[in-house]
Amino acid sequence: MNFVGEITVVAPREAVFKALSDAPFFASCIEGVRDLKAIDATHYDAVLETRIAYMRFNFKVAVQMSRVTPPEEIEAKVEGTPMGMVGRLTATATTRLFDADGGTVIRYSIDATLTGKLGSMGQPVLKAKAREMEKQFSARLAAAFAGEQPGTPP
Amino acid sequence: MIAFEFLEPGSLKEAIALIDPDDPEVRPIAGGTALMLMMKAGVFRPRRLVSLRKLGDAFTRIAAAPAGELTIGAMAPLSALEHSPAVARVAPVIIRTMRRLSNVRVRNVATVGGALAHADPHMDLPPVLIALGATIAVVGPAGERTIAVEDLFTGYYETALAKNELITQLRIPAQDEVRAVYFKITSGSADDWPSLGVAVALHTEGATTKSARIVVSAATAKATRLKAAEAALTDVGADDKTLKKMADTAVDEADIIADLRGSASYKRELLRVYVARAVRLAMQTNGVPH
Amino acid sequence: MTTATVSGGQIGRSLPRLEGRDKVTGRAEYTHLMQLPGMLHAKIFRSTVAHGRIKSIDTAAARKVPGVYAVYTSDDVRKVIPDPYYGPAFHDQPILAIGKVHFVGEPVAVVLASDPHVADQAAQQIVAEYEELPAVFDEVEAAENKTLVHDELKPAGTFADLKHLKGRKGTNIALDFRLRRGDVDKAFAAAAHVFEHTFRTQKVLHLPLEPHASIADYRDNGITIYSSAQGPSFVRTEIARLLSWPENRVRIKVPYLGGGYGGKLYIKLEALATAMSMLARRPVKIAHTMEEHFYTITKHPSTFRIKSGLDKDGRIIARKCEVWWNGGAYADVGPRVTQKSGFTASGPYDIDNVSIDSYALYTNLTPAGALRGFGVPQLVWAYESHTDMIARALKRDPLEFRKQNLLRDGRPQATGTILKDTAIEKVLDRIAERLNWKQPFDRGKGVVRRGRGFAVAFKAVISPTTSVAIVNVAADGSATLYCGTVDMGQGSDTAMAQMVGEVLNMPAKSVRIVPRDTDVTPYDMGTLGSRSLFHMGHAVRLAAEEARAKIGDLRRELGEPEGSNAPLADLFRKKYGMQAGNIVGTGIYKPDYIPPDANGLTTNATPFWMVAGSGVEIEVDTETGHVRITRLINVADVGKPINPKIVETQLSGASLMQLGFSMFEKMHIDGGQVTNASLADYKIPGIHDVPPVMENEVVDTYQSNGPFGAKGVGELATFGVSPAIANAIDDAVGVRLTELPLTAEAVFRALRAKDNKPLGDA
Repeated sequence: MNFVGEITVVAPREAVFKALSDAPFFASCIEGVRDLKAIDATHYDAVLETRIAYMRFNFKVAVQMSRVTPPEEIEAKVEGTPMGMVGRLTATATTRLFDADGGTVIRYSIDATLTGKLGSMGQPVLKAKAREMEKQFSARLAAAFAGEQPGTPP
Repeated sequence: MIAFEFLEPGSLKEAIALIDPDDPEVRPIAGGTALMLMMKAGVFRPRRLVSLRKLGDAFTRIAAAPAGELTIGAMAPLSALEHSPAVARVAPVIIRTMRRLSNVRVRNVATVGGALAHADPHMDLPPVLIALGATIAVVGPAGERTIAVEDLFTGYYETALAKNELITQLRIPAQDEVRAVYFKITSGSADDWPSLGVAVALHTEGATTKSARIVVSAATAKATRLKAAEAALTDVGADDKTLKKMADTAVDEADIIADLRGSASYKRELLRVYVARAVRLAMQTNGVPH
Repeated sequence: MTTATVSGGQIGRSLPRLEGRDKVTGRAEYTHLMQLPGMLHAKIFRSTVAHGRIKSIDTAAARKVPGVYAVYTSDDVRKVIPDPYYGPAFHDQPILAIGKVHFVGEPVAVVLASDPHVADQAAQQIVAEYEELPAVFDEVEAAENKTLVHDELKPAGTFADLKHLKGRKGTNIALDFRLRRGDVDKAFAAAAHVFEHTFRTQKVLHLPLEPHASIADYRDNGITIYSSAQGPSFVRTEIARLLSWPENRVRIKVPYLGGGYGGKLYIKLEALATAMSMLARRPVKIAHTMEEHFYTITKHPSTFRIKSGLDKDGRIIARKCEVWWNGGAYADVGPRVTQKSGFTASGPYDIDNVSIDSYALYTNLTPAGALRGFGVPQLVWAYESHTDMIARALKRDPLEFRKQNLLRDGRPQATGTILKDTAIEKVLDRIAERLNWKQPFDRGKGVVRRGRGFAVAFKAVISPTTSVAIVNVAADGSATLYCGTVDMGQGSDTAMAQMVGEVLNMPAKSVRIVPRDTDVTPYDMGTLGSRSLFHMGHAVRLAAEEARAKIGDLRRELGEPEGSNAPLADLFRKKYGMQAGNIVGTGIYKPDYIPPDANGLTTNATPFWMVAGSGVEIEVDTETGHVRITRLINVADVGKPINPKIVETQLSGASLMQLGFSMFEKMHIDGGQVTNASLADYKIPGIHDVPPVMENEVVDTYQSNGPFGAKGVGELATFGVSPAIANAIDDAVGVRLTELPLTAEAVFRALRAKDNKPLGDA
C-alpha cells in the first residue's frame, strides 16, 4: 500500500523540521499511539491502538529514524506486530519539507505492507482507515502549528 | 474457541438491556452473514452475542399503507423483500436490485436491519434506500428516534447508531411517479462486491427532471448523496449536455477510493458513465432494464 | 494397437454418475468430514515475511491456551523425521520451515488441540521474529539470479533430466528446458516479416470447494493416512521415503474429492499430518480453511516472449519461444510443467525452425504446480494471441492464416514426433462453422461494439506413466474394480465402470468401484493431466479382458459348449461345489516414450495428443471497457467419448474455469502477501457469469491406440478460452491486451491509450 500526500503548515521550515523529528510530538499527531518509549536517539517502541467500527486492533510497533537530514528530510522505518493475531506491519515513511509562501509544505510518502491475517483481507477498509488517519494527522499537525491543541510544538 | 454467550431475548426491551454499550465485545446479531465472517477471520471475538431472531413477528412484517408508505420490519430477510408484492408495487427498484445482491443463500438469511447497521459501503441496498428517501426507526434505552438512511453512515463500517440502539423498522415513503434505477458495476464475477454502485430516483415531467436523488456507493467509504449533481438535475430538460454536466459534477463531488476492484481514476470514469446512464434509463423506462 | 469393441454396449452411453445420488443427498464421504477416535486437530502458524531467517519462535502463550495439547516447530519434526524435505521434482520443501522462511504463508509451527477453534486461536498467540532478507517475486527478475531464493538446488532424483541441477548454487532456475529444431537464426535472417510479442499471465489458484484435508494415524507398525489426494500412490511412496519404511507399512485412503484440478497432487498436508501424529502419538487431522488455499498451491504466473518469422507467402518459417514460469518458493511439479508444456510452446503449427527455452523459476511466493492444463493454457494464451496479431498485421483472415500453417497428421511436431490422431483442422473448422466465420459479422456502431475470436491448441500428455488395475469377479458373477484413479468430480468411476461393463458384458452401474486405498487398490501414477481415461482406461480394459479370458478358460474347463452363455454363478457353483471362488484379472499399462535429447528432440514425445479450441462472440462497452461474452463455443477431439454427457460437463466446466482466469481472477500480492486471500475478495465465476449461449462439441474421431478409441478430456476446454476472448476484443474495438486478466479497466485503459487520452493512475 502506498500513500502520498501534502500538508501545508503556517510555520518556518526549521521549526516544522524540529517538531517532526521530535518523536513525542510526532506521535501525538497520530491517533491511538501510546506508551512511546525511547530506546536510543533514533529508536522508539510504542503501541498503536486503532479501531474500525467495533473491531479493535493493537500493534506493538518499533520505529527507527533511519535518515534525518535537517531541515529537509526524515525517513522512518516502522515494524509492527498486531497483538493476539498473526501478522506484521512494515512501513517506510519519507517526509520532505519545502519552503512555501509564509509556511512549509510537508510532502510525505508511506510505503506500507501488512502481512498475515489483516493483510489477507479487508484492503478496502484498511485503505479507508489509513485515509482517515492521514486526515486526522494533517488536522492535528495544522492545529499544533496554529497553536491549538492537542499537540504542542516544542 | 474461547466460549461466548449467545442470548436470544424475546423482546426488544430485553435485547437492548443485554447490550452493554461500553463493551465492544458485545454485539447484536441479526442474520449474521457479515458478523460471522468477521468472527471467522478472527478480527472480532465476542464475549456476548445478542440474537434478534426471536423478537417476534412484528419485526419481520412488511406492509404498505394505503397512501403508499412501505414499512418493513428490520428483521425481515432480504429474500422477503425480494418476493413481497407490496415492495414490488411501491419500490420495484428494490426487487431488481435483489437479483444480483450477493446470492440466494445470503439473501435468505441476511436481514434489512443488518444490511444497514453493518455499513459496508459495498452493499447494494443502502444507496437504493437513500435514493428513495427511506428512514429507519431506531430504539435505544431512551426510546425511539428516526434517522434518514442517508444520515446513518458515518464511515466504513461506521454508523450514527449508539452501541445499544437497534434498528427496528425501515420506512420507505410513498414513491408516487418516482423513476428509480440502481446499477451495480462489478469488476470481478457478477456476484462480486461492486466496484461502483449508483442509485438515482427522479421526479419528472415529460423530458424535464423536476428533482433527483443521486447516490454513489462502493467506490466511496460510505454510500453518499451527490447533492451538487442532484442540483444540476433540478428543473432542467435532461438533454445530453445537461447529463454530461451532471455527470462531471458527480465525479468532482464524489470522494472515490482505489481498491482491488479498480483504480480511483477508472472508478471516476465509471461513475461519469453510469450516473448518466442511470438517469437516462430512469427517464426512458422507469428503471426497467432493456 | 487397435482395440476391437465388444458387444457390451456400455461405451458411448450417457450413464448418470454412479456416485451422483450420494453426492446430492450429502452422503458421499469426504476427508473433511471424517473423525477418528482420539483425534487431535492441527492449525498452522504461518510466516509473515516473504524471505527471512527465523530468529525465534515464541510458542509459550499458545501452549497456555486451555485445551491445547502441544505446539510443534521444525525442531520437533526433525526428532521424528530427520530429513523432512519433500517434493515430486525437488526435495526442497520442509514439513515446517527450517531456519528460513521463503514465502508469506509458509507453515512455521503447528498447534494441536482437541478442538480446531482452540487450535486456531492458540496459533494466533505464536510470535516469530525474523531477520528479513531481500525477496524476489517476478519470474523474469528471478532469472537474473540477483536475489536468491534457495542457497542450493536439491533435485529429487526421480527425474533423470534434473540430475545435472544437483547441488547447483547461485541460481533460481529449477529447470531449463531447451529445444532446437532446424536453424532459427538463419530462418529469421531470411524472413520477409518478423513479429515479436510478450505475454503475461497472473497468479491464480485451483480453489476446489473442498479445501485440503489429511488425517494421519501413526502406529509403530504402520501408518494410515486419510487424505484429499489426487495421487495416493505417490503419497505412499513419498511418506515411506520420509519414514525410511517399506511401502507396505504406509496406507493411503482417499474418499471422493470435492474438486482437485491439480492442486491436490503429490504431498500437500500428508507429511505434516504424519509428523504431527508421530509426535502426538494420536491421530491428527489438518483441514485447511478456504483462506489457506492461497498459501498452499497456485497456478504458475508466466512471461512468454514469442517471435515468429514468415516468408513472403505468409508461411511461418521460424519461431522462437522464451517462457519464464514463476514457480514460487518450492518447485512442486513446476519443472515438469516447464518441460512437458515446453514441448508444444510453438503451437499447433508446422514450423521447420523452432527454438524453445522454458525456465522454471523460484520466487518468494506461494508455490505453483499444475492447474488443469499443466502449463498449456499459459502457452496457448501467448501463441494464439500472437498468431492472431500476425494475421491482423498482414491483413490475413485469421482462419485462413492458421490453416495455411497448421500442423497436420503425418508431419513432425517441434520435438520431431510425428503427429497422429489429431483432429486439429477438424476442430478449427467446426469452430469456424459454428461462428459462421465466413459470413459478414455485425460489429455494431454505437457504444457497444461486437467482436468474435477463436483459438486452437494441442497438448502432449505427461509421459511415461504407469497404471495398474484389478478386476475381481465374485462367485455370484458380480464384478469389482480396484483402481487408483481418484474421482474428484470428473466422473472417472463411471467411465471406468463402463469399460469393465463393456468387456464383461454387464451393466456398468452393477460394477462396484472400490474406494481408493493403497492397501487394496494397485499403483497409479496419479489423477492428473487428462491421463487417467487413457492410461488407467487401458489398465482397466486389460484387467477386464484378462478376467474375461479366464472366464472363457473356466467355461472350456467345465466343458461348456462354445458360445454358451451359462450364467457366471452357475460356472462357479459347478467348479467349486458352492458359491465360492474368484476370478481375478489384472492389467498394467505403460505407454512407450523416448525422452528428449539435449536439443529437446524425440521421435516419441507422447502416446496421444489432446486437441481443443474455443470460439467466442463478445460485446465491448466502449465507455467502460466491460466485455460481455454472449456466446462461448468449445470444440474438442477426445477420441470416442466413453460417456458423452460427462464429456460435455468436463468441457463446459473447464471452459468456465478458464473464463474466470481470463476475465477477472487474480491473486493480488503486496510485499509477498496475498491481499485477497478469501472468497469474499477472490471471485470465481458464478451462475450469472455463464455466457447466455454455450455450445460444446466433440468432433467425430477415434484414437487408434486409446482404450475403446478414447483419450483424455479434463483439461481440454481450458486451452483456447483466453486468447479467443482477447482476439475477439481486438476484433471488436481494435485494442490488444497481452496480460491476463482481461478486466474492464484493462480494456478501458487500452481504449483510452489508443485514443491518445491515457487514463492516469490516481
